[in-house]
Amino acid sequence: MAELFFLPRDLSAHGPVLWFGVLVFVGMLTGELMAKALKLPRIVGFVAAGVFLGPQVLDVIDKDTLFELRGFLDIARGLVLFELGQRVDFGWLKRNPWLLGTSLLEAAFSFFGVGAVLLILDVKPIIAATAAAIAMGTSPAVVLAVSKDLRAQGQVTERLLLLTALNSIYAILVATMLVAWLHLEYQGGWSVILLHPLYLMAGALVLSAALAAATLSILGRLGRRADAQFVAVIAMVVLAVALAEALRLSVVLTLLCFGVLTRILDRERRFVSLSFGREGLFFMVVLFSLTGATLEFQHFAMGAFAGLGLIAVRALAKTTAIFALTRSSGLSLRKASLLSIGLTPMSGTALLLAQDFYVLYPGFGPELNAVMVSTVAMLEILGPLAVNFALRQAREAA
Amino acid sequence: VSGEPLPFKTSAPLTLGVELELQLINTRDCDLTRAASDLLEAMPPGTSSFEVKPEITESMIEVSTSVHTRHATLLTELRQIRDALVPAAERLNIAVSGGGAHPFQHWSERQIYDGPRFKHLNDLYGYLAKQFTVFGQHVHVGCAHGDDALFLLHAMSRYVPHFIALAASSPFYQGVDTAFDSSRLNSIFAFPLSGRAPFMLRWSEFNQYFERVRGYGIVQSMKDFYWDIRPKPEYGTIEIRVFDTPLTVERAAALAAYAQMLSRFLLVERPVRPSEEDYLVYTYNRFQACRFGLEGNFIDPVSQTHRTLREDLVSTLRRLEPHARELDCVEPAHALVAIAETHGNDARWMRSAFGRSESLQDLMWQASRRWRGEAVKD
Repeated sequence: MAELFFLPRDLSAHGPVLWFGVLVFVGMLTGELMAKALKLPRIVGFVAAGVFLGPQVLDVIDKDTLFELRGFLDIARGLVLFELGQRVDFGWLKRNPWLLGTSLLEAAFSFFGVGAVLLILDVKPIIAATAAAIAMGTSPAVVLAVSKDLRAQGQVTERLLLLTALNSIYAILVATMLVAWLHLEYQGGWSVILLHPLYLMAGALVLSAALAAATLSILGRLGRRADAQFVAVIAMVVLAVALAEALRLSVVLTLLCFGVLTRILDRERRFVSLSFGREGLFFMVVLFSLTGATLEFQHFAMGAFAGLGLIAVRALAKTTAIFALTRSSGLSLRKASLLSIGLTPMSGTALLLAQDFYVLYPGFGPELNAVMVSTVAMLEILGPLAVNFALRQAREAA
Repeated sequence: VSGEPLPFKTSAPLTLGVELELQLINTRDCDLTRAASDLLEAMPPGTSSFEVKPEITESMIEVSTSVHTRHATLLTELRQIRDALVPAAERLNIAVSGGGAHPFQHWSERQIYDGPRFKHLNDLYGYLAKQFTVFGQHVHVGCAHGDDALFLLHAMSRYVPHFIALAASSPFYQGVDTAFDSSRLNSIFAFPLSGRAPFMLRWSEFNQYFERVRGYGIVQSMKDFYWDIRPKPEYGTIEIRVFDTPLTVERAAALAAYAQMLSRFLLVERPVRPSEEDYLVYTYNRFQACRFGLEGNFIDPVSQTHRTLREDLVSTLRRLEPHARELDCVEPAHALVAIAETHGNDARWMRSAFGRSESLQDLMWQASRRWRGEAVKD
């Protein structure tokens, strides 16, 4: 039969690409179903499709496939972080310093609140601190995706995006210092504690500034054409993700800074027409369906209970901080409570952090991992619902 | 007269009140943003004489001054309003701007303010209600009684094109240069009760007219008429509504001063007897003013001569000089001549600002800086 070489032979050789197509397609359909039939955010459908097709249920997207598709996930996450960075206006902190206060307080309360409870439960200090650092952050992807899905505008939306960008940055910096602390526990010197976070911060700033300057100069040449800008920006984001990984910098920090600096350096407002609106939806499906596929439920027995406690303490901490400064920052109590609810989603990136620990320090991971993995899994479903509720109740959805 | 459906409340003649509809934009891409409720919440409560109210969409607020007899105090209050709004908006990371229309907003994105009257308008007018996201300045002029109000309203119709051309600040709409200096008025034309008030000079006659129209169920109150100038019996004023909101409070005050000078001229000198005939050229002149601004052609309804709006405006201002002196309006009168002869209207500034940056977002940003009173390149 050698002469019939053009006939198909082994379908499974094309597995990853094939199943990737199926995943995106099913994710999109489930998302539409959620939006139309249940009036829920689309991303809940994307996540559900991922869970269903992933290793937890059908296993058509198995762990190897997920590993091969990691690049897509990184790019989609990079775009979200870049867009969030580009959307928030750090100048606002100068015009309304109470917001910076709110942000610091909300992150500090989350850190110490969650940390204290874990210590009381006899969790090892370093593990408690790491979990607490992760608990500071709100998921940029969930917040951005739901607010875009609802085309939300208003104070709850804008503050939610700003606080999310900020607490994501804090979470990474603090977690990094804890990694350094671990270095110390597991041997290593004091210099590492300082040098590693410093390297991450300075590296992210320098790399993102260079990328932002390059992007703006390219955009200056392209002119104000949304389609060309869109492609150019995707290319730059992919480059940024790759460079950050190659330089062993934090992808989250670098991409957020890249977005922020692109906005700050854009004095001629070249870039303002950019929006990842319709075209961006594809990346959202990719991001959330792949995230859904990576969720793990087998630790639920061990971690779910502690996870629920962690969610409750974290919510209480954030709400207290937001309420403490809401009058001074010019937000009504009603909107303050909605803003607190909006901060519920926890970052899938948190999971990556936890897993980095796992890789760096085997023998340290499983306890933390079980709690964090369960928490993130619960919040991947609850988080979008919370943001959806908050923005709709604030009447900020279009 | 008691028993009239619309009793005309007497007010001191030639007093002024100004309402400005303002745009609320985000600081990111300068598109309109839904922020009216948030901004109203953030304003310090009850400390001032002026009012800030929500308008039909969440992207608009209306500010109104108290009653003034002089331009200078009106301007002072307008500046106070601006200086109260700007920091409140800053705390919320939004910007406030003048201008008759947002240059690139998409009307389908607009959200109707949560209130029964606004809901009613939305149900009745559908997409028109959302397209009505345009921003005007309303000037109230006090009148002693209803007959004076109707006289002034019709005598003033000749000058409506002046108002339009001076205030025009909506050359861009839905992302394009409309070629009009005031595209805003085109949006208002779409409403069935827009245009000019019917010709009648007795307040009793107007009451009969109103009763009949209300009897048909066409209107419920005076608010349902979107006329260029309409009587406002509960305030004892006529309300001139053809101004686009200017980019600065200074210009808003100067436009109000112009209405005051004209009113004094018309009421004191009674230079014309208004007639229905005057309206033969009305829509022509009005179109010319919307389309070409101060370069527009102007036909005098009485002498039937043609000249540019600029020429007619400057000669009118010259004729108003004694009234300007009486009303302490010499300074705004000079400012208006300068607009006519050298600076041009805000539409011209907007076109040249767009010419520099070729960005409507940037134009909007510059416009919001002008509103704050910052010096922006002319």
